[in-house]
Amino acid sequence: MRRGKAKGAIIGIGEVPTGRFQESEAIEFALKSAKMAIEDAGIDKDEIDCILPTAAMFSGNFTNEMATGRIVEELGLKNVKTNCNVWSGGSSSSNSLKIACAMLERGEVKNVLMVQAEKLATGIPSGQAGIDLFAFAGQSPEWEVPFGQNFSSLTALATIRYQYETGTTDEQMAAVCVSNRKWAELNPNAFFRKPLTIEDVMSSKMIARPLRAKMSNMLFDGGEALVVTSAERAPDVVEKPVYILGEGGLSTHFVFSQEPDMTRFGFREAGRQAYEQAGLTVKDIDVAEIYDSYPIYQIIGFEELGFCKRGEAGGIFLRGDTWPGGKIPCTTDGGMLSKGHIGAGGSYSLLIESVRQCRGTAGERQVPGARFAIETGTGGTYVDSHVTILGSEIP
Amino acid sequence: MQVPEKPDPLVIKWARPFWDGTREEKLLIQKCSDCQKNIFYPRMVCPYCFSDNLEWVEASGKGTIYSFTVVEANAASPFVPDMPFVIAVIILEEGVRMLSNIVDCDIDALQCDQAVEVTFVRKNNEFTLPLFKPVPAT
Repeated sequence: MRRGKAKGAIIGIGEVPTGRFQESEAIEFALKSAKMAIEDAGIDKDEIDCILPTAAMFSGNFTNEMATGRIVEELGLKNVKTNCNVWSGGSSSSNSLKIACAMLERGEVKNVLMVQAEKLATGIPSGQAGIDLFAFAGQSPEWEVPFGQNFSSLTALATIRYQYETGTTDEQMAAVCVSNRKWAELNPNAFFRKPLTIEDVMSSKMIARPLRAKMSNMLFDGGEALVVTSAERAPDVVEKPVYILGEGGLSTHFVFSQEPDMTRFGFREAGRQAYEQAGLTVKDIDVAEIYDSYPIYQIIGFEELGFCKRGEAGGIFLRGDTWPGGKIPCTTDGGMLSKGHIGAGGSYSLLIESVRQCRGTAGERQVPGARFAIETGTGGTYVDSHVTILGSEIP
Repeated sequence: MQVPEKPDPLVIKWARPFWDGTREEKLLIQKCSDCQKNIFYPRMVCPYCFSDNLEWVEASGKGTIYSFTVVEANAASPFVPDMPFVIAVIILEEGVRMLSNIVDCDIDALQCDQAVEVTFVRKNNEFTLPLFKPVPAT
């Protein structure tokens, strides 16, 4: 086995269930996840020499606490050289992992703790006040807010154009929700675990045509953590390291209406970079952990990474190829549509699920013999496309 | 329930001529004097060739719908009374894209690539918004 081609390795994972936890503080989710990840790696807490937390949308104060060393002090970590927030919305985990790998490859640090926590269910107002709090988040206050743009409407814009260009139907869009729910039914950390049908999705309230309530993510509390070390060191630390084989990214817009192609974004180019670094093609990938938040983004990611031809994804999700037991298992943690949206934790969760799948420890969700996983993340109004390829071995 | 005012555009200083223009019912966009490309939204530098030599030109106000949606629920408070309303990305004849609302239309009959033209709607003394309406088929 050639070693050295991998950019780093994940040796520990930690995750608390996604849900509504009125009595708990976000720091509890962060500390529990971090402790779990460090114990999972089987290293001493003082071997963590770098922490890359990320921001929390529910609270600027909590975000500042994470940036200024609360984890270091709470866990009594004695050898942390660097603690700083890495924040790019839903692509925070992708960017944190890139930075972690770069520091590890340079020998700057040995064990990086990535950690995230949110309290988006019980830490912010509910109802219309909650809608108002997030209505303008991420939208240009000069070029989009005055026209009523919000996350539902911009997602509907991408969906309508994609449907216009490909002929994909509303039912096929709804099939993404059904596919993700099939996986969430098997994930004890997911929030929505009851069976969901196309009819359930299609009869839910219309938000912004053609986007319905059950095609939308819901916000929850939760926390996630990872421990990353160098590819060289990893096999000496844990039995089953999961290697970072390729990473790619491309920023394509800031103001949503300026996106040159909202039916593709930058996923093809980000995927090209990641496949090339990994020395793999789509045929080698056993499981596709594609960022959802809404069906359209999962469909675009799936197609642009080469799992099918453009315009075919909807039919594939409807047919069941992406479901448990299917040919191309996709978003096996249940995604933000069913596991629940916990801010930057959405892509953290997909990264952690990729590790479980490559280790063979995903329980009922395990894809038999999975060796290679591809994972995506995207931040803000889908401003950047990030792709990570992980594997239980270095090809 | 009292409905809060819709937010005014938060104007960046080099975009001021755009908003001065809409008040006079002119749709102004930037054009790079060096590479000749049209630019919207207003920039400090040309995003194509990095030139500082940007001038203002009046756009025709004609364009097509790149994509659209009808907002039926979950709008921010100031927009709730307007529901259902249409948000769209318009590609102007000059090649630039802008977000706006489609008004004076049958919301069930809108289509991608449909022809639209600008219509100016006064918001208050300071701001007039460039909205769009379908061009009747000829």
